[in-house]
Amino acid sequence: MIRRSLNFVIRGLILQNRIVKLLKKDFYIEFRSRASINISLAFAGITTLSVSLTSATMNLPFRVHSILIWVIIFFSAMNSLSHIFIREEEEGTSIFLSIHSEAEEIYIAKLLFNFILFIVITVVVTPLYLFFMQIWPENFIFFASSVFCGSTALSSITTTLGAIVAKTSMRSSLFTVISFPLTIPVLWISINLTASSLEGGSVDLLNLLFLLAFSGVIVSFSYLLFKFIWMEQ
Amino acid sequence: MHERYLIEASNLSRRFGKSRIFRGISFSVESGECFFITGPNGSGKSTLVQIIAGLQKPSEGKLAIKLNGKEILESLWSHIGFASPAMNLYERLTVYENASFAFRGKDKSLINHYISLFGLGKHKDKEARILSSGLRQRLRLITAMINSPGIVLLDEPGSNLDVEGKDVLFREIEKIKKESLVIIASNDPEELKLCHKGIDLAKQNS
Repeated sequence: MIRRSLNFVIRGLILQNRIVKLLKKDFYIEFRSRASINISLAFAGITTLSVSLTSATMNLPFRVHSILIWVIIFFSAMNSLSHIFIREEEEGTSIFLSIHSEAEEIYIAKLLFNFILFIVITVVVTPLYLFFMQIWPENFIFFASSVFCGSTALSSITTTLGAIVAKTSMRSSLFTVISFPLTIPVLWISINLTASSLEGGSVDLLNLLFLLAFSGVIVSFSYLLFKFIWMEQ
Repeated sequence: MHERYLIEASNLSRRFGKSRIFRGISFSVESGECFFITGPNGSGKSTLVQIIAGLQKPSEGKLAIKLNGKEILESLWSHIGFASPAMNLYERLTVYENASFAFRGKDKSLINHYISLFGLGKHKDKEARILSSGLRQRLRLITAMINSPGIVLLDEPGSNLDVEGKDVLFREIEKIKKESLVIIASNDPEELKLCHKGIDLAKQNS
């Protein structure tokens, strides 16, 4: 029993070290090439500014603000998130990656990278939008929670779909098509939650939990199936 | 107990769609042996090496990789060193960072040791994208050997290497083949001479 527990702890520590190594590698590459993050931030900045300039004189309802926030976050993030696996395939580094890492380590590291990137994009987009549109959520904690839970669900979906489409030809179009049924419920609930928080509604714990549970289900299934997706030739 | 590896392939075949790459490949190699795979271009040398590395699955047949008589069913990668022209390195990482990515040990001085051994000492901090193809090949070989793995799979190991690079490569293969299981896929007679036995895929496929 003790030996088993010890083995479990040791395996956990090794896994953690390898994940940190993989994450460091992805961050080095991302910040040296700055390909994805620059495009995403440029998209976020340009669309937020355009929306604020064109609707400056209009008094938009909170629901429309919520839709705009999520459309900007979604498309800014989509520019970069699917690339995390596709880049490994396109640059021919997937063999080097596979030969030195366990499939599970690759999945967890890519998921964490996508999650951090999504949060960075959200942290840039949301205050920028609130500032330019001169609005402030009535219930800030609810607003932040809805944006956080929605981002978590979207990053878990895009990581999994990125892994699936990386192994196919026609990657970009396939990504858009297969992401549709999974992203729709998440976006729909996130938009409703954000609108409610902007209007000062009470915290909708059930829907917040749904977004987290949805992420949990996607991550669990992906973790179990990732090995078969990644090793498919 | 000393680690003894054994690779047993029986009746392996590989198809991509309707086109068959090879069929009926059977062999057995163990630690302390060097095994060559040769054959003309397109005969499936690289594919066979990738199947052994666990990067591809055979269409038919069975491949068993055993350690001290027990089949390795998980974490195969931790027993294998692999270098192939099909394996691109991370262009935006430096020589040291690429080697460090592949390194699984604790003694980090070994990274510098292997970088110097393969003559990349003065290129250590350069990103892989600015290296020549010969220097990249040296870096691939470093990543294959840096963990002193029990199984070393080398696909065209001498490609793009100059005389000095080949000298180091041959010296290292002579050294590691005493204890490790080495498989070399190549058409270069000099590289094939390093091995005790092997297969010619041209004859197998005929």
